[in-house]
Amino acid sequence: MRIKWWIPIVKAICCLCLVVPFLTGCWDRLEIEERAVVLGVSIDAVSSDDANEEEDEVSHISGSIPAPSKGMVRVAVQIALPGRIPLGPGEGGGGKGSAGETVWVIDVVGHSIDDAFMNLQQQVSSKLFFGHLRVIVVSEKLARRGLENVNDYFRRNPEVRRMAWLMVAKGNAIKFMTATPQLERVPALYLMSTLDEGIRMGKFPKDYIGIFWSNVSKKGQEGFLPYVEMKKEQNVGIIGLAYFNDAKMVGATKPLEIAGYLGVKGVNPAGYRVYIQLDGAQESVMTNATHRRSKIKVSIIDNVPQFTIDIAIELNLEAKLNENVKINDPRILQSIEKKQEGLSVLFYSNLIKKTQVKGADIFGFGEYVRAFKPQFWHAHVKTAEGWRSMYKESKFEVKVSLKIRRIGMKAQ
Amino acid sequence: MESRQITVIQAAAILVSTIIGVGVLALPLFAVQAADSGAPLVTMLGVLLAVIGLVLVTLLSMRFPNHTFIQYSELIIGKSLARIGSVLIIIFFSILTSLTAREFGEVVVTSVLRSTPVEVTVIVMLLLAAISTRNNIITFAYIHTFYFPLLLVPVLLIAALSLKNAEVINLLPVWGTDPKKMLKGMLTIAALFQGTFVLTAVIPAMKKPSKAMKASLWGILIAGGLYVIIVAAAVSVFGSEEIKQLLWPTLELAKATSLPANILERLDAAFLAVWVTAVFTTLFSSYYLTIYFISHLFRLREHKQFSYFLLPFVFVTAMLPQNIVQMYEIIESVGRIGLYITIVYPTLLLFISILRKKRGNPIANQMVDPNR
Repeated sequence: MRIKWWIPIVKAICCLCLVVPFLTGCWDRLEIEERAVVLGVSIDAVSSDDANEEEDEVSHISGSIPAPSKGMVRVAVQIALPGRIPLGPGEGGGGKGSAGETVWVIDVVGHSIDDAFMNLQQQVSSKLFFGHLRVIVVSEKLARRGLENVNDYFRRNPEVRRMAWLMVAKGNAIKFMTATPQLERVPALYLMSTLDEGIRMGKFPKDYIGIFWSNVSKKGQEGFLPYVEMKKEQNVGIIGLAYFNDAKMVGATKPLEIAGYLGVKGVNPAGYRVYIQLDGAQESVMTNATHRRSKIKVSIIDNVPQFTIDIAIELNLEAKLNENVKINDPRILQSIEKKQEGLSVLFYSNLIKKTQVKGADIFGFGEYVRAFKPQFWHAHVKTAEGWRSMYKESKFEVKVSLKIRRIGMKAQ
Repeated sequence: MESRQITVIQAAAILVSTIIGVGVLALPLFAVQAADSGAPLVTMLGVLLAVIGLVLVTLLSMRFPNHTFIQYSELIIGKSLARIGSVLIIIFFSILTSLTAREFGEVVVTSVLRSTPVEVTVIVMLLLAAISTRNNIITFAYIHTFYFPLLLVPVLLIAALSLKNAEVINLLPVWGTDPKKMLKGMLTIAALFQGTFVLTAVIPAMKKPSKAMKASLWGILIAGGLYVIIVAAAVSVFGSEEIKQLLWPTLELAKATSLPANILERLDAAFLAVWVTAVFTTLFSSYYLTIYFISHLFRLREHKQFSYFLLPFVFVTAMLPQNIVQMYEIIESVGRIGLYITIVYPTLLLFISILRKKRGNPIANQMVDPNR
């Protein structure tokens, strides 16, 4: 059989061909040192004149592909430096631990978020990777201009997680990228843990970017974001809730009013302390909330929604300012409760009124109307805009019941 | 010659893993577009419609336990008419196969493998299905039974874990908003269950065809229940308005869900891995059904030779939609047209067979060629 000498060779080649698919790699292979892992992003609004000079024409060119006329933004990113970030609490890889050395902060300008990222990509050799993006800080100016583009870009990007934080900075947002807080080696992670711990200590509601998006989308609710400010020693302080109308920021609350929000929503654990003046400024005590419960009921009276909010809070007595007040008597505790109940009703009502003025229903009262009074909703409200104007006219009745349970280790 | 081997559990497993497929990702979006907060209700109604369709198909197949669909349709309405019906079924399922593959490719190229060409993902998946269809129906049943628990557990896990972020108020009012749109949504969701037609190929190889009804009810109730759970979980976590902004809410749900104690902070990678298996079993069923029907139409003993013959046609059809928006439009309209083929046509056959008093041999335990 001399003719078939080639058969074994063909067989061998076939076998080789079968092996080939197993030798290939992944099409989307991108080694970890080839990607620029973005941990944090800050976005500032800038005036077009300064920015235009600085910007290169990367995603637009005057003449054929003109840039949009909307105001420009300055985007700064924190890129993790591979190998410099110590893994775990122990000293890994000889990193010195100062924050400035674990990340690289660069900033660019652009006409939109995507444009800015493209300008940035033009400068950074590795591919920008957003899979570990934890914190996005936008400046108040940009938030007041509207966050549509920010929301759209990050929602469309499949790498971004819904558990990242979006926050509004008082003043410039870029400061939060360049800051080097001492507690955490990676600045972006410090920002994130400030808010995550806030949730655990009862000082802040769960408000990840995904939840913010959901709230913005809902017809009977407006979004809100943490409002932060740069403090001494490059530290970060939460100074309130920035509340929105659709994607536009319309106002901000005071820090204690976060507690008001948490109380109305009945979020646990509770963790805010307040002063209660008993008789005159000298005789004050301070109480600490430990548990919140709230019940929201809606009824329609004369074609206007009327809400009844039942808030029940458990307290511990934390401190008093002088020894004149003795608290070894249940009656005194009761009088403190009474006093604080009265103040609380006013406090909660004022907060609601404040948001009513702007038509920013961050509590989601409208959702209660939509859910429980659908006929009324379809007849009179229908849309998010409809609820915005209806919210301004809605009536609220706040009932607060407080119970002081414990007074600490001191007997009186 | 092999004996009739498929048990009731296997038949139910085939149904479940056939139904659960690419559709899961966009399902909450379809449901919400139809009924806002009434999405779980509209899903339930869609499932109900699918159950009715499947029950009728099962009744028809049980009347002719030894014949395949092609054979008894010829017995009932005559050769020429039945052949037109059979050709339509074959075309429909080959289109369904290609659309499934394309939808899979689109999801992968958008969310995970962004630089891999969509053609590659589609052809790999189709090739995988084509190779697997070279087995007979018994092996087909085994493959489905093997993957069945793999599909169920992770989806239930994600739904359960996501309840941490759920708000009941998002699900109210349960009856949704617009009854007119609801009907359309019901049809769209019922169309996701068309793979159940594979039962007509399974029943002739079942050990006890008389128990086929039990299998079909269990199968569709498990899959339908899972669908309702997914929709309810997605709506309660995101709210109906937010879901309208998301192309694949179920994937987004997996992204927003984390295992306790932050073992995994986002489950989308794990979910996608499972979902690939789900897509494979769906693709496998519709591909198998297509070539099985072709071989019966031409009165051939074997269906294997069509496995690769069909591949280029299916692949080219898969590549026809120009973009993802057009693809979803096509999927919705093909799905609704498919309801005529997979529900209305068999129902007509059933009534005609009752009127003409046609039925097959009720003898069950005889030896049957599983490839028939």
